[in-house]
Amino acid sequence: MIILGQYLPGDTLLHRLDPRVKILSVVALSILIFGATTGEVVLISAFLFAAIRTAAMTPAQAFRALKPVAVFMAMIFFVHLLFTEGELLVSLAPLPMRITREGILRGIYVTWQFAGLVLAAAVLTRTTSPSDLVGGIERLLRPFSRVGVPSQDIAVMIAMALRFMPMLLEEYDRLRTAQMARGADFTTGNLALRGRAIAALAVPLLFSSFRRADELAVAMEARGYRRGPRTTLRELRFSGTDLHAFTVMALFVLVNFAWKAAMG
Amino acid sequence: MIRVEKLFYRYDAGEPDCLQDISLDIEERLHTALIGPNGCGKTTLIKHLNALLFPSAGSVCVDGMMTTDAASVREIRRRVGMVFQNPDSQIIGMTVEEDVAFGPGNLALPSEEIGRRVAECLAMVGMAGFEKRAPHTLSGGEKRLLSIAGVLAMNPRYIAFDEPTAYLDPVGKQRVLEIIRRLNREGMAIIHIAHDRRDIAEADRVVVMDRGRILLTGAPEEVFEKTDRLRDAGHDGFPQKAAS
Repeated sequence: MIILGQYLPGDTLLHRLDPRVKILSVVALSILIFGATTGEVVLISAFLFAAIRTAAMTPAQAFRALKPVAVFMAMIFFVHLLFTEGELLVSLAPLPMRITREGILRGIYVTWQFAGLVLAAAVLTRTTSPSDLVGGIERLLRPFSRVGVPSQDIAVMIAMALRFMPMLLEEYDRLRTAQMARGADFTTGNLALRGRAIAALAVPLLFSSFRRADELAVAMEARGYRRGPRTTLRELRFSGTDLHAFTVMALFVLVNFAWKAAMG
Repeated sequence: MIRVEKLFYRYDAGEPDCLQDISLDIEERLHTALIGPNGCGKTTLIKHLNALLFPSAGSVCVDGMMTTDAASVREIRRRVGMVFQNPDSQIIGMTVEEDVAFGPGNLALPSEEIGRRVAECLAMVGMAGFEKRAPHTLSGGEKRLLSIAGVLAMNPRYIAFDEPTAYLDPVGKQRVLEIIRRLNREGMAIIHIAHDRRDIAEADRVVVMDRGRILLTGAPEEVFEKTDRLRDAGHDGFPQKAAS
């Protein structure tokens, strides 16, 4: 569970912030990262660094957040490194690739963008419990419910997905063990054979998920779930600190835009 | 009182009725046990009590409200709580406290009231201190207790338990049975599906079902005496005599 596993209870400023402020900040940062020019790269990196420090994340933990996507990051780096036109530095003929100055810069830039997005999200999920995250998303979508966006249903759906992911994994384990007990082999043989053995798990897993979904729908009904107004244990409250954080974020966005305008 | 009158039910047209001519009064404050072989329709019957299923013929009436009356369904579901057999498929929240808050949230109660009920119901089942835990980190027994707390938070008058001690170790069983006893003492009407007759020795009334019908009803001792005779006559599926 990527999202669930990352939350660590704590009492930092970022932990205390309203999830809405944090979600909006990540969205704003993502937009800034996508359009960043060289100067902004420095600004945004500094901002991210500060956020990571504020969340009491150690450098090791920050690297751990990047680890699952390291291969992907290396891939996009090399693709840009090898396939960008520009001032030739190393020719790799007869391969249709070359290393150019632009390629190096481009590779670093795109990898930075990707790492920035992942880190921003990591700070969010580390300092925000899944429940708060879902609550925040629900609250942010609520204005759109007037135009037909079912914000509460969406929130319940995300919450369910998070709740049932570990259960699905358990179920998978159980089925696998049951089949192994009856002689199925998942560890030897060529890839095709192993693939087929695992595919044989998909059908019972699918069936049990459908059955569970059915039972769950009944249980939800039994506990009075229906479309329409619901309340939650914790209603979000926008505090003074949230206002300050929001202002800081807004100013940061403005500075970036001003920088972009000044640099032409 | 829940009054079931001449209830027939079939899941699909063309199939045989899985409930036939059930008439039963479930009195407030009483502990009503429901026993019978697997597949005899016990679960199907209790699903009628809170409007999860609707009779093909006959009626179910909860405190004067018909389950078929759409306007009453919400209130009926609040009054009649349902603890299903498998706790895993009735725990909805991402944390223990949120799961207990799910029902009261559906009733659109204010947050303070929800918080009060969450604390009260978790304490009632002995799960105070588990508030922030994720459901998949709980043991089977703890999940069962949580599913009970989630139903209690609706503040029901009746609770139907579908084999509440299934899959539990002896300690877990005792805890659940003790909670059921305590709820009953405090005035909650209990409908209790069971296979182990020791679980329902204290029931006020035992209803025996077989193949979709009510076979007999009565006080535990007289019912068990009759089912013993039935079993001796080759009829399967009735609770064993207490091991001696």
